[in-house]
Parts: sequence; structure tokens; C-alpha cells
Amino acid sequence: MDTSGDDSLSERRFYPPLLINSTTTNTMNPLREHELMMTRRHFFGRSALGLGTAALANLWDGNALGAAGTGIGGGSGLHHAAKAKHVIYLFMSGGPSHLDTWDHKPKMQDMFNEQLPDHIRGGQRVTGMTANQKSGLPLAPSKYKFTRHENNQDGVWVSELLPHTAKMAKELCVVHSTFTEAINHDPAITYIQTGSQIPGRPSLGAWVSYGLGSLNENLPGYVVMHAKSKFPEQSLFNRLWGTGFMPSDHQGILLRSQGDPVLFLSNPDGVTRSDRRAQLDTLAALNQAQHERFADPEVLSRIAQHEMAYKMQASVPELMDLSGEKDDTFELYGEEARNPGSFAACCLNARRLVERGVRNVQIFHRGWDAHGNLPKEHESQCADVDQGSAALIQDLKRRGMLDDTLVVWGGEFGRTSYCQGNLTRENYGRDHHPRCFTVWMAGGGVKPGITYGKTDDYGYNIAHEDGTPMDPIPNKEKWTPGTMHIHDLNATIMHLLGVDHTRLTYRYQGRDFRLTDVHGHVIKDLIA
Amino acid sequence: MNWIVDFKRKRRDLSRCSALLGGLVACGILFSTTIQAAVTEEANVDLDFARQILPILSDKCFVCHGPDTRKKNFLRLDSFEAATEDRGDYQAINPADPEKSELLLRIHDTDDPMPPEDAEKQLSDSEKELLSQWVRQGGDYAKHWAFVPPTKSKPAKTDETIQNEIDGFIHARMRESEADFAAEADKASLARRLALVLTGLPPEPEQLAAFMGDNAPDAYERLVEEMLSSPRYGEHQARYWLDAVRYGDTHGLHLDNRRGIYPYRDWVVKAFNENLPFDDFITWQLAGDLLPNPTLEQTLATGYVRMNPTTSEGGAIPLEFQAKNNFDRTETLGTVFLGMTMTCSRCHTHKYDPITHSDYYKLFAFFNSTSESSMDGNSYEYGPTLKVPKDPASWPAWEELLAKRDRLLTRASLGSAVSSEALMSYAEPRRGWSSSDWEKTAIVGLNDPIPNSEDWKEVKGLPGKARRNPVPRPGKAVYLSFQLAVPADQVLWLSFVGGKASSVSVGDNQIDLPSGSAYEQQEHLVPLSLEEGIHTVRIRIAGSSRSGDIEVRLKNPWDQVAKSKALDKLDPSDRLLLLADPNGPFATLNLTTAAEAIAQRFFAESANLTTSLVAKDLDKPRETKVLRRGEYNLPIGEALEPGVLKVMGSLPQDAPKNRLGLARWLTDRENPVVARVLINRVWQRIFGIGLVRSPEDFGVQGQYPTHPQLLDWLAVEWQDRDWDLKEMIRLMVSSRTFRQSSQWRDAVKDPENRIFARGPSHRLDAEVLRDLGLWAAGVLDPHMGGEGVKPYQPSGLWMALAHPASNTKQYVQDSGRRLYRRSLYVYWKRTSPHPMMTLFDAPSRESSCVRRSRTNTPLQSLGLLNETQRIEMGRMLGERLLREGIDDNTRLDLLFSLLASRSPMPSERLACQNLLETMRQRYKNAPDDATALLSTGEIARDTSLEVSEHAAWTQVATTVLASDVSILLY
Repeated sequence: MDTSGDDSLSERRFYPPLLINSTTTNTMNPLREHELMMTRRHFFGRSALGLGTAALANLWDGNALGAAGTGIGGGSGLHHAAKAKHVIYLFMSGGPSHLDTWDHKPKMQDMFNEQLPDHIRGGQRVTGMTANQKSGLPLAPSKYKFTRHENNQDGVWVSELLPHTAKMAKELCVVHSTFTEAINHDPAITYIQTGSQIPGRPSLGAWVSYGLGSLNENLPGYVVMHAKSKFPEQSLFNRLWGTGFMPSDHQGILLRSQGDPVLFLSNPDGVTRSDRRAQLDTLAALNQAQHERFADPEVLSRIAQHEMAYKMQASVPELMDLSGEKDDTFELYGEEARNPGSFAACCLNARRLVERGVRNVQIFHRGWDAHGNLPKEHESQCADVDQGSAALIQDLKRRGMLDDTLVVWGGEFGRTSYCQGNLTRENYGRDHHPRCFTVWMAGGGVKPGITYGKTDDYGYNIAHEDGTPMDPIPNKEKWTPGTMHIHDLNATIMHLLGVDHTRLTYRYQGRDFRLTDVHGHVIKDLIA
Repeated sequence: MNWIVDFKRKRRDLSRCSALLGGLVACGILFSTTIQAAVTEEANVDLDFARQILPILSDKCFVCHGPDTRKKNFLRLDSFEAATEDRGDYQAINPADPEKSELLLRIHDTDDPMPPEDAEKQLSDSEKELLSQWVRQGGDYAKHWAFVPPTKSKPAKTDETIQNEIDGFIHARMRESEADFAAEADKASLARRLALVLTGLPPEPEQLAAFMGDNAPDAYERLVEEMLSSPRYGEHQARYWLDAVRYGDTHGLHLDNRRGIYPYRDWVVKAFNENLPFDDFITWQLAGDLLPNPTLEQTLATGYVRMNPTTSEGGAIPLEFQAKNNFDRTETLGTVFLGMTMTCSRCHTHKYDPITHSDYYKLFAFFNSTSESSMDGNSYEYGPTLKVPKDPASWPAWEELLAKRDRLLTRASLGSAVSSEALMSYAEPRRGWSSSDWEKTAIVGLNDPIPNSEDWKEVKGLPGKARRNPVPRPGKAVYLSFQLAVPADQVLWLSFVGGKASSVSVGDNQIDLPSGSAYEQQEHLVPLSLEEGIHTVRIRIAGSSRSGDIEVRLKNPWDQVAKSKALDKLDPSDRLLLLADPNGPFATLNLTTAAEAIAQRFFAESANLTTSLVAKDLDKPRETKVLRRGEYNLPIGEALEPGVLKVMGSLPQDAPKNRLGLARWLTDRENPVVARVLINRVWQRIFGIGLVRSPEDFGVQGQYPTHPQLLDWLAVEWQDRDWDLKEMIRLMVSSRTFRQSSQWRDAVKDPENRIFARGPSHRLDAEVLRDLGLWAAGVLDPHMGGEGVKPYQPSGLWMALAHPASNTKQYVQDSGRRLYRRSLYVYWKRTSPHPMMTLFDAPSRESSCVRRSRTNTPLQSLGLLNETQRIEMGRMLGERLLREGIDDNTRLDLLFSLLASRSPMPSERLACQNLLETMRQRYKNAPDDATALLSTGEIARDTSLEVSEHAAWTQVATTVLASDVSILLY
């Protein structure tokens, strides 16, 4: 017997499609198919008649394990009750400067152009770009004015670059002590999105799709958007929303502002919707005939997929059509939201997607890699994202959706407190800084209106309560209170979605892989 | 609710088989256990340790009591010696008195159980039962099956209709489940299946017709031979290998710039087509460069070693990437050849498989001494590289030319022909020479007079490449001029690209251009015999069909001799020029003419060369140490020598401790895994599913083979047949097993086809879907090899991701025939492969993939019905049907014959006929829509065809192309 397949539900361990679905072999006994269908109904916790065969087939063929939870209708999670049904991740690619946005370091104002003290640097490695610069590591205080905004604790200091987001202070859970080990973009962004610095693992979004499945049948469960930036520096990679060794149907689907919003959505010129209907009817007849010859249940599933595609051809344009949005929407998001591909437009799309039941939305905004001319670049970047992010929170809130929608904002690392290149009071650049950076979350079951963790007076190290630097080393057994490693962030996101990151595994090459590898701690302090 | 009844009944049925009890409730497990119940019917006689016990120990116990136990003297359960050790107050397994075994007590202990209550993985009742039984039988250990070298056993002769040993093993297993072979597939389906499996394309219509009419007993065998000898065979088989070795046309990280590596891909195709013995195939890739006098192909094959994704990100730390690049190579070797996951052992001793932390770094050490820099410099020519002709068909001629050159140089024996004093005394006065700034005229007509001096302009970049100064088109010419100062009488070599009517003059003397192949190819290598002093050189570059910038080069090999003071530092081609110098000291050898002729050809061919990344070792190996937690900056312990995984034997005695030794070990008969792992993947691509269904993992946690004896037989037979792959494939496709009908069999309860009681059936891969459509439409371009092609792709996909400095940010779509090449040649940008590939489960090629998933999504439907290339295929296929058929029926017959190798069934014919009628009406009333549809894609429509009729057939063709009739193997 095959003992690797011998287990019980109570343990809630899950196996790769090798065992549970038909991606490796697509021929099934109709009788068994019936049996599977029955089992699915049980797991979905609702009648198959209500959800439709197509959705069932999709969910199942997507190896979605949400099926094994207490039902998808309520989004009640896989391992425990979910706080969030949806997640919208605003990813600031390139690494925003925490020092010019969220991490107020007033003492640095008096240290302009002084060298970063050795005891602060603590022998940490520096990238090849500043390791040997003639000026050494001169401190560059932020030129921006910070203001304290009321929250549910002692307030949060936000720079003038983010006036709209600052007004959301009472909703935000601002974590100053996020950290990573990766020091360059490619490894760092791959690390935060896939849990490994080396390509090949499934992305956070793929894990969510694998664990929880989709909440609707007319739109993809995992949607990715690229927002425009004036400084599209640094690369993105398909792997950031890819599936690595998991089946490819868990990959993020690009919602584009150029051409078809979803690749190949539109019929070719000269083909109308009713033409397509006639084609699909013919396809169904042909596939049915094939099914009669080979009794292959995959064939039936494929018929259903063609029908879903047909529905998507209507639902996606409906999604993209903003004519039903009232004027106050554009007051909230700004007129910029009418400009397809702008960050504000992506935020509005994100709300519309979530409204229609899409579980997982990611917006990637490039251009935060400010090695030089940081003020010019960050002013533009912040102007891109500020109003949209704030509007998204407000909009979700007023629609009663913020409670079960988690919004996350952050990049792959922070930026150095010392300057790269020429330093003046008015202009400076900052290198990559993995040792501390700020990520904020809102809604979806996180504590609103708090700040968490702190950094030293230089914004260089995560610090104890009293401001003395600490050097947290990620440890799978022990978590250092007050810190949030990127694995902890991912573990916490998964937790809010009702998934135990240590128990959602996918077996590949004999190993049960996890998003967080063998690391990660859920940070309970952040959870409401 | 009915289903509960169903479920319970099923459960009762299964409970006969106690070993299966535990799994029934888990959703994932339900499927596999049901299958087991249907086809395995476990008998509880002798326990098979490797198959039944080790997986439990590995999965549930080794996490603490496994090979990587950290605490000293902590109980280990991964060997008999450890498990039976007298630990003072207890023995985990007590063979003398099994009931006293601590293991037995603790797994049933409710107060202090093992695994502990809070352990992530608990034992099921059936597992406890198995373990108990095992301990009571004495707790014998055996090696995991995959670590014991395979041996051949004889299959039972069950039936006289079996074709070969494969059938013997398969049939014996079927009999255990009281099943028998399915009927043979109908002839047409079999031809289609065979062609698709071997070549990735359906049979050609003539082939199919000949086969259908051929009633000779060996008709099928002859078709097999045709398929095996088709060049399409190598292309199709190569594709799986390229997935495994993660072949891509870009570096893969950060900028993801272009990488010069496609000759490796073309070599793989060639190797499959020429049926290179697989042990050589392995050896050349791992260590071709270390073979004595490696050939071009042996060197090229080492591109395998260079296939890891690389970066040159600003600020990246070279030492870190030296480690990361080699992690990647080590782990890929694990997946591709060993069927082992190595990743765990990067940081610590493997939890399940007996691979230690230092084992990992010993294997790592084989790769750690390659000479390339750990950063790719974002360069296409990320050295070391090999220069090879772009077209693989020219490789033999090029290699022959190199050999000729080398033979001549050997014959001339430059080193001993002239004393070094004589050599240096000739070279020394000829060092140092200079040219003035260059001037050129505007482009003029070929027969126009030379422009006046005021019309000459300075040109930058010469000698060398003058950017933005294109070579004139045919019928035009351009003049270049410069002053040349030489310190002594001597020959200088001038080279440039230009048409036949090009000429060179020095002062007032016109120099005759050498004739010969170089001349024909519009490449010129011109010896300038000059006296000491200053000369005015003028070149007339006549128009040429070869586009590109003007490139002029001057070579003075004596200068190099004088500078390096030795001959052996010179490139062989420069030595050839020394030999060709009619005034030099070597002229007495009387080889000047021969040398110049070779030099001329050599130069001419150089323009057709490209580079391919290859492996080369440092003279002195890099030191390798174990890295703590896999951190590049935390080396620990002594330096390690390269070595192999202990559990899989040892390096053959006389094998060198380098990549060549590694290859020797991989191809050694004593190696337990390599032949099994590789032949399992061959089986997987022929039958759709492997004998080991986790082809990436043959370790303790992997799946047990469905037919262990067959797997072993195949592995040994392959080696007995000198690793002849075509032989093995011939055996497989000739088997009765392969030739069975794929129709579902109600009588055989085996949904996953574990006993292979029916033929293969599954959705075809992304590449095959595209190739099949292009082929049916009659537009597939059979040209092989060369730089990756760029078919239609929605705009902006690369730009949306790419770094502004990346040279792959713009997708520049090809045109003409390159749009219709086989998908194997589609350009592979690793961070953003072609969307139609990704949509149908192609991997990114950033990491090794030995088994693609086969998903089924709505987006695939959109791709099949809307993508530009698919629509163009549809209309070209429609055009073909209109041209080749005479009425609706013959056209539908042809359509189905191309795509399904058969005529349509009545229901299919009716469905298509209905669509055709509807579309005819529709496009008659909307001719503009018809024209719009027929304008999709680059090829102009045949305007002699009636527009609505063509559009209607386009819709029918596109639809049938997207249907299961076309996209499935059956």
C-alpha cells in the first residue's frame, strides 16, 4: 500500500494533486466521478445545485482545499474561523523609504552628514553599491515634515508625503519592525512573495488560492494588477504571482489596463457574442461525443470551463465599466481613478473585484528604488499611491467590507538612513535596507489604529522599547516580540484568512512545503 | 442523503483491507485508497519494509528520530543497529523479545504516546498495526528500494500474444487484479497516438493513408521506424529534457537579459535525433569539456552546467551568488538524475533520506570550481563561451575547418620551425603601428565617380565597428580612407564586409581581392604588403545583401608576437596569419597559400558564428566547505573533496574527482537511481504517467513504483543495450500495452490507470497544441534551430515587468516564416514566458520541472478561441479545406482526418454542419465581419475564395481545433 496516502481528516493534512485530483491522470470512472461530486458537496457545505457544476468543477480542479473547510460560502477559513475573506495587497516594489514616510526620526535632523556610528551598523553587510563609497555612510535626515495623527494609541507620525493615508490613522496597523535577510531586489521580492530567495516556489497568492479556493464563479480567484509609475525601475517577475511546483491554475491572473483586461478575453474581430455561443454549442457537442467514446470526466469539466470563459467575457467588461460608479467615488479616489492603469484606478478595481467575490487582489507599483534623487522620485511615487490607498480603506469601510477585507501596504525592504551618492539637505539617495522597514495593514481583523515595533534613533535597527538596537535572528522556535520577519507577515496574513501556515502544505519531491518554509510566527499582538 | 449511504457502503467494502482504514476519511486520501482497493488488494503476508514500513517511519518518526538527529545519543530509528541498540533501560526494538520493544509500547501508550500528542503528524490505526506487525516479526530493516541497484528478473510468460517483456510484467500485474489487456486501438487512432507521442505532430496524411492501406504484419513496425527517424522526433523529445534542465533564453534574474545558449538547445535536438547513447548524453553535458580533445558538440553540451539562472544586480555580493548558483546546480542534478530532493541538505542533514549535510557539499564541490564569474554581467556572452555556427547544419563543416587549421599548424610546428631569436628579431621591429582618423564618403551609386575630398567626413569607431554607418545596399558603394604608419616592411591583414565589386588600394596601387569562398560570401580578408612608412589606404565597400554596420578590422599578428614574446599565447587563427605571411620567417615552410586559404574561409565563416555558454574548470579548484544553515558566509569544518552521495555508492575507483568523475558515477552500472529515474521519465512521456508517479522523488517519501520489476528491467535492459534510447522507445511503443485502446473500461476499476489496462489519454502539452494547429493549417515552418523565435504576443507584457535597463523589455514580434516555427523554438524569457505556454502548464524554466501539471481552466478556453495565432491557424486551415475538398462532406472528412486521423462520427458531422450553416448565413449578411475575421494574423487571405464561405469554414476549423477531438491524446 501507499502509506503516504494514508491519513485522516482530523489531522487536516493535505496532499498534492498527485493524490487528490486528476491533473496527473484525467480518466475517471463515471461512478467514481459521481462519488467525488458527492464528496465535494459535503465539503462545500451546500447543495451542488446552488453553486452549479461549473463552479464545483473549477474549485475542485483547482485543487482548492477550501473545499475541506467548513464551506466556502462564508469564507470561514480552512483551519480556523477566518477574520478576513479577502486580501488586497498593495505592493510597493523597489523598497519605499520608511524614513521619509512612516518612521519619524527627529534626532537625525541634528546629525546631517555625520557618519553612521559603528555601534549602530554593528558590522552588518552593506550592498556593493555603497560599501566602498568615498563619502562613507553619511546620515541623511528626511527633508519631510512629520505630523502626529490620532489613532487608538499614542498616535502615529506620518510624513507630509502621505497626507491622505495619514487621515486613515485610526484604521491602520502600522508595523515599524518588519525585516528580511535579502539585501537585493530580486532575492528580496522573491523572498517576501514566495518565502524563498531562489525562484521555484509558489507565491503567497498561489498558496491562498490552493488553500481557500475561489469565492465566485465568474471571475478568477486571484487577480494581479500593475499600476503605472513615472519611475518603472526594478523588475517584476511572473514568479511573484506564479505557482512554482503547484499546478498552474493557482497563478495570479493579470488584469491589464492595456489591450484586453484579461489576456485573450475579447473575441477576434468579426466574431460576435452570438457567434461565440454557436461555437461553444458545437464545442460542447464535439466534446460530448468524445466523452461518449472515452468516458473521460475531464471532458465534462472542460465543457464547464468553456462556459465559465463565456461568462467571464461578460463579467470582466462589466467589472471594468466604471459608468455605474457615482461621482463620490471619484471624489474619494480622485479623478486619477478614471485613468486606466493608474494606482487609484487599480485601487478602485480592487474594491470592485472584492465586491464581486474575488478573494485575492495584488497591485504592484514600481519605482520605489530611490538610490539617488529620492525626494523627486518619492514625491511622485507617494502622490501616485496616497489618495488611492486611503480611498480604498474608506470605500471598503463605508460599504461594510473592511471588516472582512485585509489591506496590506509595503515593499520588499526599506532604505538606509545613510546617503548613497551626493548628500544635501534637499537631495539625497538611499540604498537598500533589509534590517527594518514599515508595513501597514488595515481591516480584515487586524487591530485598527495602532503602531507596532520600533526602530532605533537612526531607523537602522529594530529597537527595544527603550530604543536600544536589537538584532533579531529569525528562529523557528522562538519569535522575538516586537518584530515582524517577512515570514511572520505571511504567517499572519494566512492566519487572518483562516489558514494555519504550518499546516497548509504541498508535497513536492517528498517534502511537505510551506509558504513560510520552517519559519514564521503569527503575530497575535496585531490581531483584533 | 444518499451520498452518506454510498460513502458508508464504500467504506464497508474497503474495511476488509485493514491497512487502508485510516485513510478513508481524509478527502485527499479517499481517492488514492479507493484506487488501491480496486487494484491492489493487499495481502498481509510478508511485510515489505521498504514499501510498507520505511515510509511510515520516515513520515512520522524521522522528524525527531531520523538521520539528522541533533542531540547526541538521541534515539535514531533509521537503521537496525540504532533501533536495536541497548539503551540501558530499554531497546526501541527488541528482536529477541518483540513485546518488550519500547517502540511497540509507546505507539499504543495513551499516557505517553509516540509520536507525542502535539506532534504535527500522528500515526493512523492502520500504521500502528503495520508497525506492530513489523516489530513482532523482528523489526528487520532493508535499504530503501531505490538505493539498491536494479537487477533484471524474467517476466512471467502469461500469454502468447504479448509483444515483449514489458507486456509480460504489465500482464502479470493485471492478472493479479483479474484484468486483461484492452483490445488494440483502432489503426487510425494508433497511428495518431504513435506520431504524437514520438514526434509531437500527427501523422502526415500520406503516411496515414499508406499505413491504413498496409496490411502487412510489420506495417506498424515500419511506421514506428518512420517516426523514430523523423527529425521531428528529436525536437519533440528534446522539449522534455529542456524542461528538466530549465533551459531558457535569458539569464532569469533581475534584468533577465538575453543569454547566448540556443546552440545547446539545438545540440539536444541533434543528440536525440542521432540517438547519442544516453551515457554519452549525460557525460558530455556534465563534463564534455574535461574529455580528451573535446569535440565541438562535447563542449557545447556543457551548457547544461551553465543553465542555472544568474544575476548581475547592482550591489549583489559575488560570494553569495557563487553559493546560490551552485545550490541550484546541485539541486537540479538531484532532480534530473537522482530523483532526489537535495534542498533540505543545503541547510542540514536530510530529515527523511539518508543524505547528510556534508554529502550535499561534496556534490556541490563538483560544480564549485567552474571558471565563470558568479555574476553574469548582464551579458549575452557570459563567458566562458564557445563560438559555433548559428545553424547546427554547419557545425560539422566548421569543426572540419578548425581541424584543418589545427592540422596545418601542427604540420608547420611553428615553435620549432624558426628559432625564437629569429622570430623575435623579425617581430620586434614590427611592433607598434598606427592608423590615422578615418574618413568616409556618403553612400554613392556603384558606378559613380569617387566623391571630392570636401565630401568626406570623419567616421568614429574604426578600425572596428562604425555604429550607425550601415553597409550600403546592393548597387551602392561607400569609400573609406585612412593613413597607416608601419615601422618596417611587413604584411598587415585587412578585413571587412562588402559586395563583390569592393576593392582596396594602397597609394595608387589597386590590390587584387582574393577569390574563393570568402569572396562569394562577401567577406574579405586582404593581405596588405607594406613597406616601412606611411601609406594611404582606400577601401571601396560595394553594396552587399548582408545588412549591418560597416566593420573594418586590421590585424598585425607580429605586433602580438613581439608583445607576448611567445607563440603559444596567440590565438590559433593569428598563428595561421603568421604562417600565411609571404614575407615572414615562416614563408620558407611553403605553406603560405594553404594557410591563407584556410584563413580566408575561417574569416568568412566567422560572421555566421554565435556564442554558447559552456563549462570550464579553474586550474586550481575552489575550496568548498559545509555552509552552516546554507549561509554563504558561514563555512564550517575542513575543506571537502568532491564526492558522491554515500547511500548511492561511491565514485568509481579510477574516476577523477571532477565533473568527469561525477559523470562516470552517474553512468556507472552500480548507480542505483540514474537509469531508473531517466527511463521512468521516458515511460512517462510515452504512457502519460510514470511507473513511479513522483518522477521528481525516488526517495523514501516518494511513491512506490506501480511495477517495480518492470522499472528495474527497463533500467537494466537500457544499459545492456548500451543506453540506446530509440531501442527502448521502440520496445515501449511496440508493446501491446501501448497499443491498447484508451477507451474507458467499466469492468476494470482503475481510474488512475495504475495497472495500464488501457492506452494513454490526456490533454496535449502547450507546444503540441500550437504545433498541431500550425501543421494542420499547412503553415508550420520545418526549419530547425537558431535563435529563439517570437510569435504573436499581446503587447506590453514584457514592458510591464521589465527593468528599464533590461534588453528584454521590448517584445519585438517576428514576421514571416519565423511566426510559424515549432514551439520548441519560441523564445523563452524566464521571468515572462509566452502566455500561451504558461496558460497550458509550461513551467517558467527558472527551476527544474520533470512533470508538468495538466490543468483545465476558463482562461485556456479564451486562449484557444481568441488568440491571434489560433485564429490565423483557423483561417489558414479553413483555406486549406476549401482548396483541397470539393464539398462540405469531403472538407469535414479532411478536417477530422488531419486532427483526429479519422472521419467524423455522425454526431460530430452534424454539429459541424450546423455551425457551418449558421456561420454561412451570418457572414453572408455581414461580409465586413467576415473580412475582419479573415484579417487576423499576418498572412493575407486568399482573395479568390468567397469571403463568407471562408469565414464560415474558419469558424468551424477554429472550433474543432479547440475541441477535445484535437487537444487530447487518445
